[in-house]
Amino acid sequence: MSQTVTGTAKSSRMASRHRRERAADIICLVLLILLALIVMFPIYWIFRSSLMSNAELYAYPPAFLPPEWRFSNYTETLKSFEYLHFLMNTMTILVPAVLGAVVTATMGGYAFARLRFRGKKFLFTLCVGSMLLPSMVTLIPLFIAWSRLGLSNTYWPLILPHFCGGGAFNIFLIRQFVKTVPRELDEAATIDGCGFFRILVFIIVPAIKSAMIVVGLLKFIELWNDLLQQVTYITRRDKYTLALGLNIFRGSFNDDWSSIMCATCLSFIPGIVFYLLGQRYFVEGIVMTGMKN
Amino acid sequence: MSKRGMIRYNRQETRAAWLLLLPSVIGLICITYLPMLASFALSLFSWNGLGEMKFIGLDNYIRLFTNDSKFYGSLLTTLEYAGISVLGSIVYSMIIALLLNRKVPARGFFRAVFYLPYVLPALAVYLGWKWLYDFNHGFFNYVIKLAGGTSVKFLDSSALVTPSLSLIAVWLSGNLIVIFLAGLQNVPRTYHEAAEIDGANSWQRFWKITIPCMTPIIFYNLLMSLVSNLQVITPALSLTKGGPGTGSYFMCYMLYTQAFKSHKYGYGSAISVILFVLIAIFTGILFSTSGSWIFYEGDDRE
Amino acid sequence: MNMKKLLAVVLCLAMLLPVIALGEGDGRVHITYSFWGNQTEAESVQAALDAYNASQDKVFVEPMQIPNEQYTETLVNYAIANQLPDCGMVNENAVLYFSRNGVMADVSDMFAGEELQPMDCITFKDAGVPVGYSSSNEILILYYNKDMFDAANEPYPSADTPYTWDEFVAVARRLTFDENGKHPDEEGFDPGKIVQYGAFVNNWTWQMEVWALSNGGAWFSEDGNEVLINSPEAIESIQKVADLALVEHVAPLNVIPEDNGIGVGIGSGTVAMTTDGTWRLGTDFPNLGINYGIAPLPAMKEEVTICTSGLTGVFKGAHQQEAYDFVKWYTREESNWEALVLTGIWMPKSEYYYKTEEGINAWLGNEAYPFKDLETGKKVLVDYTMNNAKSACWYFTPNTQITTNEILFTALQSVWSGERTAEDVINEIYPELVEAIVVD
Repeated sequence: MSQTVTGTAKSSRMASRHRRERAADIICLVLLILLALIVMFPIYWIFRSSLMSNAELYAYPPAFLPPEWRFSNYTETLKSFEYLHFLMNTMTILVPAVLGAVVTATMGGYAFARLRFRGKKFLFTLCVGSMLLPSMVTLIPLFIAWSRLGLSNTYWPLILPHFCGGGAFNIFLIRQFVKTVPRELDEAATIDGCGFFRILVFIIVPAIKSAMIVVGLLKFIELWNDLLQQVTYITRRDKYTLALGLNIFRGSFNDDWSSIMCATCLSFIPGIVFYLLGQRYFVEGIVMTGMKN
Repeated sequence: MSKRGMIRYNRQETRAAWLLLLPSVIGLICITYLPMLASFALSLFSWNGLGEMKFIGLDNYIRLFTNDSKFYGSLLTTLEYAGISVLGSIVYSMIIALLLNRKVPARGFFRAVFYLPYVLPALAVYLGWKWLYDFNHGFFNYVIKLAGGTSVKFLDSSALVTPSLSLIAVWLSGNLIVIFLAGLQNVPRTYHEAAEIDGANSWQRFWKITIPCMTPIIFYNLLMSLVSNLQVITPALSLTKGGPGTGSYFMCYMLYTQAFKSHKYGYGSAISVILFVLIAIFTGILFSTSGSWIFYEGDDRE
Repeated sequence: MNMKKLLAVVLCLAMLLPVIALGEGDGRVHITYSFWGNQTEAESVQAALDAYNASQDKVFVEPMQIPNEQYTETLVNYAIANQLPDCGMVNENAVLYFSRNGVMADVSDMFAGEELQPMDCITFKDAGVPVGYSSSNEILILYYNKDMFDAANEPYPSADTPYTWDEFVAVARRLTFDENGKHPDEEGFDPGKIVQYGAFVNNWTWQMEVWALSNGGAWFSEDGNEVLINSPEAIESIQKVADLALVEHVAPLNVIPEDNGIGVGIGSGTVAMTTDGTWRLGTDFPNLGINYGIAPLPAMKEEVTICTSGLTGVFKGAHQQEAYDFVKWYTREESNWEALVLTGIWMPKSEYYYKTEEGINAWLGNEAYPFKDLETGKKVLVDYTMNNAKSACWYFTPNTQITTNEILFTALQSVWSGERTAEDVINEIYPELVEAIVVD
């Protein structure tokens, strides 16, 4: 008897909880849709601008829909915006740089999070300290150094630095994520006789995969938009990246804004694709990380 | 157990650590600290880039603090922008990440939507927003006028320009959302399940499990957004050009225009040193409070 | 183990990276020409280089394209690292900076004994000594939309006699109206609901200098040693332009001056008159589809305009002589005739094209020239240049990259927004300007 009472009480509690959860889900969905609309609006505005003529862009009142859907803007833009060529150039820089950053940042982040060694505090302080300055401060000294090495007209200065830890931010991000992994996991592995490198590869990396993807994503976008460095090291048109390519619509006398908008809409597609690819691992991450074993 | 001073480092562990950190150490020395020192040394010189360098001691600093009409305005503007942007984007991205972490339909689509602004090239982002904010032809003012109001000087008054630019920064914080999302996924499920069995409701679970487990990530996002917002330059560079007044004359923009546009490299370096100290102070404060509120699941209990 | 594998992969990837080949080993001297510009400009540069490369077999010129906004700073970075190109375009505000610091070669005798002499007003001078010549000539003029004038029954601005400033404001007032068709001087006019503006004076910083001259003042003394912008005339001229939007309500507000005067002004379809440079004849108007006319600038006290244009510089270095020869060839009007002169983007730089009927007809009278009204063109483009054009301040004043580009640009934004008066702002920054022009 008493068992049944607790049983029904429990199930009715469960039912009401389910109802509440359902209501919460709906509220969340509505909120998300509203927020998504607000967030999308400026992007829509950019897209809409890519379908208008330069004269229409400045017209008043601003047109919510393009007065005429000029998809021909895109074909016009592609005539001078050598999309595939620029994309290939961008990828030549990005693929090794992103890989290098993810690998070396993971190594560094793991060492800072888990290993005990002399000089750790000092090194970590140096690492954090390196975030405190914008990269433009080191631009000229580095440029001088690279040109002394005879490499200032190549892609090397844009790639090699990312093999050096991928930046303090990323080392730090990995460190934070490694710290959320329960220590019991690698202690158990140590007892099984695993060395530090094997723990890193077989225990830590699977557990922080989502963070590594995030590092990859952040690095990807950072380099994608990094105009200042690219302007300095790339001077030949056939070596242009997409970010530099956007500038070919800015003339010495006037700027072709609708083409810039077209090129923009085209140039962020790879970023989105990369994100969507990475996103798969986030979802997987739910199952794979944490206390799986 | 062992007394602090007597920690004995395992030789193997030390060797492994230095090996793992080797690339980072090379990077820190060669591409950060040596050039940084060169740049700091430059702050003691007067140099226009092409001509002779003249040693002038601390003159650049003295001038900055006593004889630069824009320095203090720039400092205040930077702090105001960073304050609004950091708070705004942390709260906004946390909310979005929590919403996206629920089982909502088309979750993948929504995630992409909120991330999208971050992917866009800065040139396009700020131009797009300019067309929305513009006083004469902008869409916002068009709507305001339709509703019977009078036009607002979003970017054209020194009072409103910083908040207006901060709003763009919040909108751009897709990277924070992604990091929060990744962090939420690292919150061990078993904790939630255990709490659920103990009868904790979702609100309690949020405050007692999600938030504490997320503190290392919140700390990271806070740090990253603080540092990057104190180093803000792109909105001024691509949209407002520093004005009106010092309304968007951010320190980094000041550094950039002084050094690269006006070719006063020594003066620009002095600004970079001040900026360095400023960010170091804020980062130091953040780190010194971190022990009291960050909960590390797998801390090394040093 | 895994580390090794990874390292191997990384190294392999790195090997695939193309390293730019330097010099083609064809026995010719390879020199580099740097420029900024959009696609069309890049193509016309390439066409000119191709022509030069085909015309002789000693020298091969390669283009180096640098984005506009980062152009000067990138060149300076190159100079610091001894990586400068052999020759290239130089922004007006950087010419004296480069020449004073010994980066540019002496080209003062480039046109000695030639038939075509560049005009004096586009000759860069450091303490009176010529250091370089602009590649073309551009002046500031007034553009107006004929349809808007017709609709308001307003006679077109005259090509012979410029408006006085008061006439200009009065005409602008008649061309400005709000939602209810009220003009600024009428009862019930609502400045918050203006539908059409009468005028827009481009307030891009360097263009503002013309109004100081027009009002009988100046920004800098002609020897480039003194800052005169704090004179009542110069201050008043800035305030008058700002007041078009702030007080008269005949112009759109433009607090962040960008180089898009046509876009803010006449190109938006909401403004009847705009001041801007003559290059717009080629770059903007052919695409705008507006029925437009041109006239001299309104005159505050003096009838004056300023002329300016970028320079093609020869940088010191191993191939200085080759670069010098190329630049001499490249900056002739003929070398850019089809691409730049006949499209309306450049006006010629030599007096011959302004002083002789034959020369004028060669460009202004050419069928391809975008502005079709020859008589008006002669008055507003040719005579106005000859009789009323003065050099912009960067032709004779050092460090304009600091004064006009940085200090004045930022400071004047407070004037455009109406938060401070011109007098207040100029007096505040005056010491900075004085200090800036003596910095070396």
